[in-house]
Amino acid sequence: MLTGLLTGFALAVVVAAVLVLVVLSILFRATWRVAEPNEALVISGLRQRHEGIEQSLGFKIVTGKGTLVVPGVQVVRKLSLDLRETDLQIDCVTHQGIPLRVRGVVIYKVGDDLVSIANAARRFLDQQNQMDQRVHNLFAGHLRAIIGNMTVEEMIRDREKLTGLTREHAGTEMEKLGLIVDSLQIQEIQDPTGYIENLALPHAAAVAREARIAKAVADQEATQKEQDSEALKAESRRASLIKQAGYQAEIDQAAALAKQAGPLSEATARQKVVVEETRVAELEADRAEKRLQTEVRKPADAKAYEQVTLARAQRESHISGAEARAREVELQAGADAARVKLAAAAEAERVKLAADANSAQTRMIGEAEGAATKARGLAEGEAVRARGMAEAEAIKARAEALAGNQDAVIGQELAQRWPEIVEAAAKPFGNIDQLIVLNGAQGISETLAQALSQGAAGLQLARGLLGGSNGEKPVPPAGEPDLKVEPKST
Amino acid sequence: MEDGSEVVDQEMLGKVGRVTGTIAPGRLGEVMVAIRGGSEAFNAYASEPDETIGRGTRVVVVEYFPPRTVVVSPV
Repeated sequence: MLTGLLTGFALAVVVAAVLVLVVLSILFRATWRVAEPNEALVISGLRQRHEGIEQSLGFKIVTGKGTLVVPGVQVVRKLSLDLRETDLQIDCVTHQGIPLRVRGVVIYKVGDDLVSIANAARRFLDQQNQMDQRVHNLFAGHLRAIIGNMTVEEMIRDREKLTGLTREHAGTEMEKLGLIVDSLQIQEIQDPTGYIENLALPHAAAVAREARIAKAVADQEATQKEQDSEALKAESRRASLIKQAGYQAEIDQAAALAKQAGPLSEATARQKVVVEETRVAELEADRAEKRLQTEVRKPADAKAYEQVTLARAQRESHISGAEARAREVELQAGADAARVKLAAAAEAERVKLAADANSAQTRMIGEAEGAATKARGLAEGEAVRARGMAEAEAIKARAEALAGNQDAVIGQELAQRWPEIVEAAAKPFGNIDQLIVLNGAQGISETLAQALSQGAAGLQLARGLLGGSNGEKPVPPAGEPDLKVEPKST
Repeated sequence: MEDGSEVVDQEMLGKVGRVTGTIAPGRLGEVMVAIRGGSEAFNAYASEPDETIGRGTRVVVVEYFPPRTVVVSPV
């Protein structure tokens, strides 16, 4: 019960405290006002005892902090300290009398000091929205005056003078309104007379002239360089083309060589093949030849050699026989001729000697006696006849001897060179390996004796010829065996 | 808040500022002075009437005419 009471009491206390807190907070909220950084609170009402303000209209200005305001007694108004701007557009005349249309903007605010805030509060507190219009009207006149003190060139270039004039003309008046001008900007200048344009024209023309000159010079230089470059390019292109042509020629040459290389090497290879084949064929031919030589030629050679040897031997024997026979005939004829000649010569000698002896005898008889004409005539006639006979005989014998010239010559020679003849006659016998004499062994000696005795026979024949003055042909002695040398082939 | 403006007035005197608009005879100049935690521009006259003070010169506030006018002298 007690605890219930206590609990109820405590609850009531808590509720009361909460209510009190709520009420207090509501009161505080209603009475405590805070000035924002960009605003000033203007408080008017209860007991305003402020030293500076007392001489003024008696209101309180609070900036940047909170203050207690008694509701119902005091009134709080806010004055914005924000930046404001006003556009201006005016027609005006410059110091030189040139009409311009200027568009500008002025940027201003309420001054931050208490005096400025008080001035502004008294003028604009209920007309903050119309502040821009008021300032516009005010500044239009100021701007016109400012521009009237300036030239166009100054407006464009001399900012310092613009701001200075703005301050001079508008500063004090704005101070009256509690405002300060942060900036005045001229945004646009319209120039109906074209003053600004003309101002720029000389410079523009000069610049344009310079630009044109520079452009022309540059163009000229560029063209020159371009042409030089073109010439150089053409030159180098020519050199390049020449070189390319040279290289192309080399390439073509090499390509042609390469193209020929195939057939060439093929031909070379084929040539080698042919050479080898030729060698093979030669070797085969050699082999065949050698085989032929061994199989055919050697035996044939042997056979031929055999036959040749045989034939040669036969021929040798034939030749030897023929030679011997010819020699024999020759010797025979020679011997005959020599015999005849010797006989004729001897006869002629004898006739001559006899005639000489007769003539000498006749002459000696004639000279010694010189008388007997008949005898002398007879002797002379005999002598003439004998002489004629002898001469005729001699002529005949010589004619015969001439007819058988060879024989006579040989006979003459034979008589002179008998020993050599005999030697020659004996020679064949020395050369003959085998001598077959048909008459037997007796024949040899006979032959030799005959050959040797032919000399003597020749002498006898000669003597016979000398003895026979009738001119008979000497006849070889009968019964002489024929010398026959028969060479026999072995 | 009664002492506020007076305090400000006293604070202004002796402050050093910088000329932002040339001060010349017959022309209203401008100085920037650091005050109230920021910097504000004030219309300025030279203490010597014939004196010309160029831009960028450091000046000291010798006199204050509320709300926005000061008389300065070069430091």
